[in-house]
Amino acid sequence: MRLTRQRYVITLIVCALVLILVSAFGLLMGPVDPLPLLREGRWERLRQIADFRLEGVVTASLVGASLAVSGAAFQALLRNPLAEPFILGISGGASLGVILALLFLPAQLVELQLSIGPVPVFLSSLSLAGFLMALLTIALVFAIAQRRGRVDPYRLILTGVIVNAFYAAAIMLVSALSGDKLRNEIIFYLMGGIGTAAGRWSELAVATVLVFIGIAIFMGQAKGFNLMAFGESAATSMGLNVNRHRLLALVVASLLAGLSVSLAGPIGFVGLIVPHILRMIFGPDHRLLIPVSVFGGAIFLVLAHSLLQIIPPEIGPLPVGVVTALCGVPFFILLMRRSGGSVGGSDR
Amino acid sequence: MTDRDNTSPPRNPTAGQGPGQPARQGAEKSIEQSPQPRLSVRDLGFSYGSERFRLSGVSFDVAPGELVGLLGANGSGKSTIVRLVMRLMRAHQGGIIVDGKPSLKWHMGDYARRVAYVPQESRAVFAFTALETVLMGRSPHTGMLGFESEDDIAAARGALQTVDAEIFADTLLEELSGGERQRVILARALAQQANLLVLDEPAAFLDIRHQYDLYRLLRDLSHLQGRSCLCVSHDLNVAAAYCDKLLLMHAGRLLAQGTPAEVLTSDLIRTAYDIEADVVLSPTGRPTVLPRVE
Repeated sequence: MRLTRQRYVITLIVCALVLILVSAFGLLMGPVDPLPLLREGRWERLRQIADFRLEGVVTASLVGASLAVSGAAFQALLRNPLAEPFILGISGGASLGVILALLFLPAQLVELQLSIGPVPVFLSSLSLAGFLMALLTIALVFAIAQRRGRVDPYRLILTGVIVNAFYAAAIMLVSALSGDKLRNEIIFYLMGGIGTAAGRWSELAVATVLVFIGIAIFMGQAKGFNLMAFGESAATSMGLNVNRHRLLALVVASLLAGLSVSLAGPIGFVGLIVPHILRMIFGPDHRLLIPVSVFGGAIFLVLAHSLLQIIPPEIGPLPVGVVTALCGVPFFILLMRRSGGSVGGSDR
Repeated sequence: MTDRDNTSPPRNPTAGQGPGQPARQGAEKSIEQSPQPRLSVRDLGFSYGSERFRLSGVSFDVAPGELVGLLGANGSGKSTIVRLVMRLMRAHQGGIIVDGKPSLKWHMGDYARRVAYVPQESRAVFAFTALETVLMGRSPHTGMLGFESEDDIAAARGALQTVDAEIFADTLLEELSGGERQRVILARALAQQANLLVLDEPAAFLDIRHQYDLYRLLRDLSHLQGRSCLCVSHDLNVAAAYCDKLLLMHAGRLLAQGTPAEVLTSDLIRTAYDIEADVVLSPTGRPTVLPRVE
């Protein structure tokens, strides 16, 4: 179905409403029933619970949106339906950064207080280390892959795979040399979990600004993603500056992926599956796919995070990546079979 | 010299740049039609960095309303010329002038409104319909952010109708045959409403009826609408039947240019393709090439 302004607006309004509903569901889910607290008038405890749950919902929204939208961008840019946000080695870089910070930073430096003008900002040094390593990885991968100022997508993917393999080996080495307690922390971090960013509103505020900037850039590039689907020559002939478009989008997508890893660890499947599912439902036009990926990723991860809250605490915290894979993969297979095997487009 | 330096093309270009070949007169019609060629290629040179292939000294014009066929054996430099004209690569020598201005000096969007491209083969990685594909040809007119207007949709549907593909409007591109898909891609170039069409073997996947339909369409676009077409072709007879001018490439050089009868001679075909062929002239003066079967 051709994209019209009316269809665009209605779709985004519906997506926003679904996200609000799912977020409300997320706020209600948790091991503590808020009703008795309400009856007893324990407002401070209620406020603490609401604050904690809201942090989880906001973190899940930001991470889900970042992963899904960067996945959609990577798939369009690299003309590869199997591309996902961590394809350029971002997850390996950010994970190694967090692990090295866990290993070497003194405990008093785990939370940093900075000032942006008069505003005090608290940042987790672990998240910061992850984000800085993600940035370093992006710079490294681009520096290795570029040739005479031009970035070839296949060299880029190959470089990303190799850099990721190096990081994986480094993480294994660090884990092997660590004590049991640290090794458990590393393993749990690598599973990916929303809780890792909880309690850090300043950090989420900074992340929100960055994510919104990234989304705005992608929305401006959406038509270019459509043209890129036909290849570089065709896109150039239709007026797209392919090199500039690709470089900007790859950097933004990598930054969003790095940001999500630094907030919640490497959460798999969201960036791969969500854009595909949405493409099957809404069609391949990136002018709609980019914003619905933002909502779709957020909805998917908030839902997964909320479902985890139902699990009794004595079973222990489960990583959200487990839920994203367990729920996402069967749903994806179902949709793919219904759409006649076409993973590249809509069910039309 | 790059094409940035070459702002004033010579008015009467010489032809026949091949070594040992006599200069051939051609494109008299185009020179009469307009003092300024729509596309002017001057002393074009390019190398991929190896000694195996080197494009050099290629000069020709494409005038408004002219259908020009670009011929030559595999590896003779046809696609390199197309890629240079489409700014997919930068020339190492010489210049390409479009509407009086060096090609690289045009803004991307302005260039796309002047020059449209039909690649040899076009596949989309995602499942767009034919109409969605053709609407992308409107990008240079709508900008990178906006939605298409009713006029854009009418232009896209009109382009589909022109190439006899309106029945595919809502069909996914991947469900079409190679020839049907190629017609949709041609419609996308038409929807771009550029005055210069550059086509890289557009008839490669078409059956004989659609091959002739395509060239008839290109001729009508040129002669009736004043558009210019530069069309790479491997089919000498179809090109001879419809093109106003032919360019014959050999080993990175322009072996000959002129009317079909001037270019498609047994001697030049032997040099360019290394085959023996007889050439028969029709009553209209159009040649037909008949390769000798051993």
